[in-house]
Amino acid sequence: MTIERDHHGFDAPAPLGHPGRAGLPPGHSTGPEIGERLPDFRLPDTHGELVDFHESRGRAKAVVVFYRSAVW
Amino acid sequence: MNDQVGAGDAFLEGIPYPGVYVTDEEGIVVAKFFHDTYKVRDSPEMLIDAALGRLEISDQEPSFRGGDEEVRISVFVHGGRGSIRQGIRRQLIVRFDLGPGMHLYGEPVPDGMVPTKIEIEAPPGLVLEAPIYPPTETLRLTNMDVDLHVWTGAVDIVVPFYATGILVSETRPLDETTIELEVNIRYQACDDDTCLLPKTEKVVLSIDLDVIDVPALGPHLGHGQREANFRGAPHMTRLIQRKLRKHPLGLARYLLKSIRLELAAKWRSVTGK
Repeated sequence: MTIERDHHGFDAPAPLGHPGRAGLPPGHSTGPEIGERLPDFRLPDTHGELVDFHESRGRAKAVVVFYRSAVW
Repeated sequence: MNDQVGAGDAFLEGIPYPGVYVTDEEGIVVAKFFHDTYKVRDSPEMLIDAALGRLEISDQEPSFRGGDEEVRISVFVHGGRGSIRQGIRRQLIVRFDLGPGMHLYGEPVPDGMVPTKIEIEAPPGLVLEAPIYPPTETLRLTNMDVDLHVWTGAVDIVVPFYATGILVSETRPLDETTIELEVNIRYQACDDDTCLLPKTEKVVLSIDLDVIDVPALGPHLGHGQREANFRGAPHMTRLIQRKLRKHPLGLARYLLKSIRLELAAKWRSVTGK
């Protein structure tokens, strides 16, 4: 596997141009802004039970993470 | 979703641009973290701080304490116990604790006064972001007809930073195990009647470098990375099986594309173009 450094200075075990190395382009939307309420959504938890984001957390604060793999 | 990864990349289609929202009790976004490269990620401590609305400094983080009775100064490297990994954002925090009646100046200042400034000397490959200064209060000097921008009490100035592959890479062993960060803190403290002489505090912090904890997968092996701490193969096998069920030709297309990109990369390394 070829290692190439990107223009940010980062290394990765994949050549440049590999779709897995694509980063967020300038001006691309990143969804709800600060001060906006996150939309209603339901997703299954690790047991397959549906979790309603706003109902199930019982007025706790929350961190919602979108990640692409356990590593990157 | 990462829309640069198209249907032709079925093996990868559906990956997001990584990002984080932090919400309050009502589900209102109070902070969000997105970066123009997926390699930059925020320390868990930054997310916790955003949720709490304050900086939670741990005793285990590298720190310096100095200053004097009027102005006590602490410097911390916050996040990951202060260790530096490729792309993971940490925060250098300069904390002033001002004595009763004392204030420091934010910019702009009239001639003759010294604003508070943080300058950091770091090795190549450490990207320092712009310092984040807290909001100032206005102090009106009626006899001079000027408004000064001041801080009182406890003042935290935060400089986020991260390392690129030039300094510490996920694809090679560490060149060094520690670096030194030199922090120069320039300030002038005053009360309502008197200004103390401007001071510069020079702080040198020794920071540990660390590598990303990679899984034991083929693409991560063979280029000098340290031995992996967790087995990624069972998870990757399930992922491939799931993708194959959905896109029977996806894996073949993905492999062909990868081979083409790999050959192009080898050509670039040979020709330098």
